[in-house]
Amino acid sequence: MKARTIFYLIGEGIANLFKNRLMSMAAVTTITACIFVISVFYIVGNNVEYILDTVETNLGITVFFEYDTTEERILEIKQLLEVRNEVHEVTYISAEDAWETFKVSYFEGKEDQLSGFEGDNPLEDSASLVVFFEDLDTQKSLASYVESLPDVRYIRQSEQVVDIMQSINQLVRYSSLALVVILVIISIFLISNTVRLGISTRRQEIEIMKYIGARDSFIRGPFIIEGILIGLIGTAIPLVIIYFLYDQATVSIAGQFDLLKNFLVFRDITTIYRFLVPIAAAIGILIGLVGSRLTIGRYLKA
Amino acid sequence: MIYGGALLGVPLIIIVLLEVQMIKLDHISKVYPNGVKALDDVSFTIEKGEFVFIVGNSGSGKSTMLKLLMKEINPTKGHLYIEDKEITKLRRGKIPKLRRSIGVVFQDFRLLDKMTIFNNVAFALKVTEAPASKIRRNVPMVLSLVGLSKKTKMYPTQLSGGEQQRAALARAIVNNPPILLADEPTGNLDPKTSWEIMKLLVDINLRGTTVVVVTHDKEIVNAMKKRVITLSHGKVVRDILRGEYGHES
Repeated sequence: MKARTIFYLIGEGIANLFKNRLMSMAAVTTITACIFVISVFYIVGNNVEYILDTVETNLGITVFFEYDTTEERILEIKQLLEVRNEVHEVTYISAEDAWETFKVSYFEGKEDQLSGFEGDNPLEDSASLVVFFEDLDTQKSLASYVESLPDVRYIRQSEQVVDIMQSINQLVRYSSLALVVILVIISIFLISNTVRLGISTRRQEIEIMKYIGARDSFIRGPFIIEGILIGLIGTAIPLVIIYFLYDQATVSIAGQFDLLKNFLVFRDITTIYRFLVPIAAAIGILIGLVGSRLTIGRYLKA
Repeated sequence: MIYGGALLGVPLIIIVLLEVQMIKLDHISKVYPNGVKALDDVSFTIEKGEFVFIVGNSGSGKSTMLKLLMKEINPTKGHLYIEDKEITKLRRGKIPKLRRSIGVVFQDFRLLDKMTIFNNVAFALKVTEAPASKIRRNVPMVLSLVGLSKKTKMYPTQLSGGEQQRAALARAIVNNPPILLADEPTGNLDPKTSWEIMKLLVDINLRGTTVVVVTHDKEIVNAMKKRVITLSHGKVVRDILRGEYGHES
């Protein structure tokens, strides 16, 4: 196909977009709605995953030691743990640190009662290691390993939290996947329906083109361009809207759940868009193309 | 003097060579899937530059014949040649090229309402990927040939039926196709306009285009004194040079 024909077909596709304004708008709206929902789900899922990641690394197990364990031995275990792959970070909390923290949180406002403890640390044997993980999945196996180490008295872990977090993670993943599939099918159906409604004028055009010896590719060209354009516009609209609403939305969500303020860390929109934009554009173009291909295919064969 | 005889002979030889069989139907039968036998063992030949009427009542097989010529459908039996090429065996991808060698006009004009007359005609060149210079040159030429030079910027709905058919004719011949098929070209027109269209068809024929007109307009056929092929119940019942519309058909 010659270059000028390609330009002509692109021009025709754009012109058709405006000539069939009502149909184009209907199709763009459909894709917009579809991409909007897909994007929102992607962003929510992405942020949930991100938050879980952050929480995962913040949820450690605390390891306590036998009463006569020396600080050297504890630091030795610390090093032992630190070289393991699944361990993100190990923090040593000495007995003094523990007492200081306890004092602040327990005796706040009742400092006079502390006088009896002067020079004395009731938490003398409470030196501990806090172990943070790369991934929640490895917590259980690591916990049993730590428990088997000599000198370890007991460990405290948050198994329930871990389980809940994991199931939320999976729920978000699967439900968004299912929703995306359903939405894409619905929009393809809607688009091919709208295209079919607007095709009666096109049918005459296609017939005439066939009589004067137009190749199939020539007849199809403008429709394909139109489908791609509808897909792109339908993708751009929701993405632009979300881009400008994202910051406001995250701020107001964080405000709603004041209690979880420390957990609710949102991802930057530009980071999310690095993946979302190509995915959404691909889905949008696909819907536009499949919708218009389905419809013209039938008329070309006739 | 030596060349005298040869010089005289040249035009004769050219005339003989020009006798190309433009359209040839060789024992063509067409039976539709529903069992209707539309054409039954039809054979005839149309030479290059001929002007032929195909007449017959509805159901005689006229429409089927046209569809076969444009390769919209394939015959059940027999062979069909256009410009000495068998088109019954043509691959789907080659059909556009065949259709570019056949200009078609219809009873209902089939112009695109959203395009100007100029663009309707130019469209036929654009689908053949013709250069813009050719479009600028050829379109005004054919539009002036059919007498629409002053209406190139108008839309089909702003024109009379006769003018629309002229525009359709311009579109059909702008590619210079060797064959022009006209399917009831005067079916929607009053007698005076019909004659103007027929006159145009004759002009086009005089330029060397083979013209095939399917019609049941008795008056026109009788007055034109051209070759008439009469179809009845899917068979050729008469094929007369300088003929008339038969009584029994």
